[in-house]
Amino acid sequence: MAEAALLRAQVEAKERIQFGGQNLFAGLFVALALAFAVLAGASGDTFFFRLATEALILAGLAMAVDVLLGYTGLLSLGHALFFGFGAYVSALVLKNLAPSFWAATGITLLATTMLGFVAGFVSIRARGVYFALITFGMAQVVFKAVYNTREVGGSDGIIGIPQIQVEFGLFSVDAQSPAGFFLLTLAVVMLLYAALTYLMRTPFGRVLVAIRTNESRVAFLGFSPWRAKLTAFVVAADVAALAGSLYPMLRGFVSPELFAFQASGNAVIMVILGGTGTLAGALYGAAILTALKSVIGTWSEYHLIIIGALFMLSVIFLPKGLAGYALPRIQRWLARRRGGQ
Amino acid sequence: MSDAALLEVRDLAISFGALTAVSDLSFRAARGHITSVIGPNGAGKSTLFNLVSGALRPQHGSVAFAGADVTGWSTSRLLKAGLARSFQITNLFFELSVYENLRLAAQVLEPGLHALLPAARSALARERAEELIERFGLAAKATGLAGHLSHGEQRRLEIAVALACRPRLLLLDEPTQGMSHGDTQATADMIKALAGELTILLIEHDIDVVMNLSDHVIVMHQGAKLAEGTPREVRDNADVQKAYLGGVH
Repeated sequence: MAEAALLRAQVEAKERIQFGGQNLFAGLFVALALAFAVLAGASGDTFFFRLATEALILAGLAMAVDVLLGYTGLLSLGHALFFGFGAYVSALVLKNLAPSFWAATGITLLATTMLGFVAGFVSIRARGVYFALITFGMAQVVFKAVYNTREVGGSDGIIGIPQIQVEFGLFSVDAQSPAGFFLLTLAVVMLLYAALTYLMRTPFGRVLVAIRTNESRVAFLGFSPWRAKLTAFVVAADVAALAGSLYPMLRGFVSPELFAFQASGNAVIMVILGGTGTLAGALYGAAILTALKSVIGTWSEYHLIIIGALFMLSVIFLPKGLAGYALPRIQRWLARRRGGQ
Repeated sequence: MSDAALLEVRDLAISFGALTAVSDLSFRAARGHITSVIGPNGAGKSTLFNLVSGALRPQHGSVAFAGADVTGWSTSRLLKAGLARSFQITNLFFELSVYENLRLAAQVLEPGLHALLPAARSALARERAEELIERFGLAAKATGLAGHLSHGEQRRLEIAVALACRPRLLLLDEPTQGMSHGDTQATADMIKALAGELTILLIEHDIDVVMNLSDHVIVMHQGAKLAEGTPREVRDNADVQKAYLGGVH
């Protein structure tokens, strides 16, 4: 069995480098975020702190889209449905029930799990472009419904959401503190990243990748593709909604635009810019797109055209996104370092 | 159902519109034996496999496996019960490594909470994958992508993936399809070696392979059973010669 042991060692070495590279790429993101926080904190800035926090929140939505698109192979064009839902549930809880971080996120999670099952049940039976159309349609229906429902603020959204203190027992974070809430959001997003990364490395996660690669064979391996896709859909809904639930804590209001196609489409662009199927790519993609929109938006009112052109260029020259460029290089570097030892 | 039969198909029928793909087909596959299904193109052999493996639901008739009526069971349920299949057209995870193809296929050996532990800790599945890689001579290519294998290697992996779950009954759909003569011989030997461990239902076009391997042969023609028996009986059957062998033998 010497050959088997050798094979095992080979596979494990390859996995260590693959996973190590991903972890390093994500760690670099945290380091960059912390460096930004030090710079922004030192300069006493508020605007960029808020913008960066929003980018992190959107990174949560982008990671959720990546679970579907990059791992399971499902293109959702309406994932803002869950992001908006999370933001609204959180806003309503904070305003009407209790100004508590834990109540807002907990109730959002419960409500979204139920909504995710229903929406998943409806959309999962369709494949390919039909799945994309159904998810798009569902989000549009909810967007218009919220837009026209006075009870949840109609087109104005919900304003006057109380400012909260996030209690951790030993300490608390003031959601109004730009640095404090930025760091809290970074912690939440990286926790979500860690949880999703773990899940994608389990046998369940491997089945999702198998579905993306060749769905028709998966049933002949003893797994129900339908059940796995539904589970992935609910997980992706929960992650997007948890990210969304932070939004009203940051901005103090929510508006129907959170459900809009613009938000769903941007999330897909973030994932593609960052690189699909890596999760860390989604983090970078969200940061890049948010920064581009803000910076170019201050120069020109035609910023969407410029961003569109940049997106096309990146798809042409970096078809696998930033992660597709950076990850193999990081992994080769790791392999050389390991090999040198 | 006799104890000797692991699979018993009774009066199976399905039609697609006006085309009757399988009609009133009955046969048994004896435990530990190789039962071959032969017949000209369009005879309904692959449809039969789709019916038995749960990919299609029969409009009429029943399928019994290991003493239980499994008619209409889903593919994943049948697989867990011990019924696996390979495909005529190679049906692998081409973008994943050879190792991962097999580890995925062996994952079903560890049900329950194992699905949520790191895949690296699925000891049973990994051992099974390594065992099959050695057995099928894929060690040198194990960490490479399945899509980068040669045709012959992919056909071998196709069988290995079907075997990974330790099935009791293996349906092999033209395992030697497109293989060179040498590979065909090697694959036939391998199938013969498998027969000691499990029951095999085989679709095969290579008549030499069928004649050498089979304990029992079923001849299909236009969706129905034309004849069955030992290879020799089938070869000497006048109807079979007329319909399928064209009087060559």
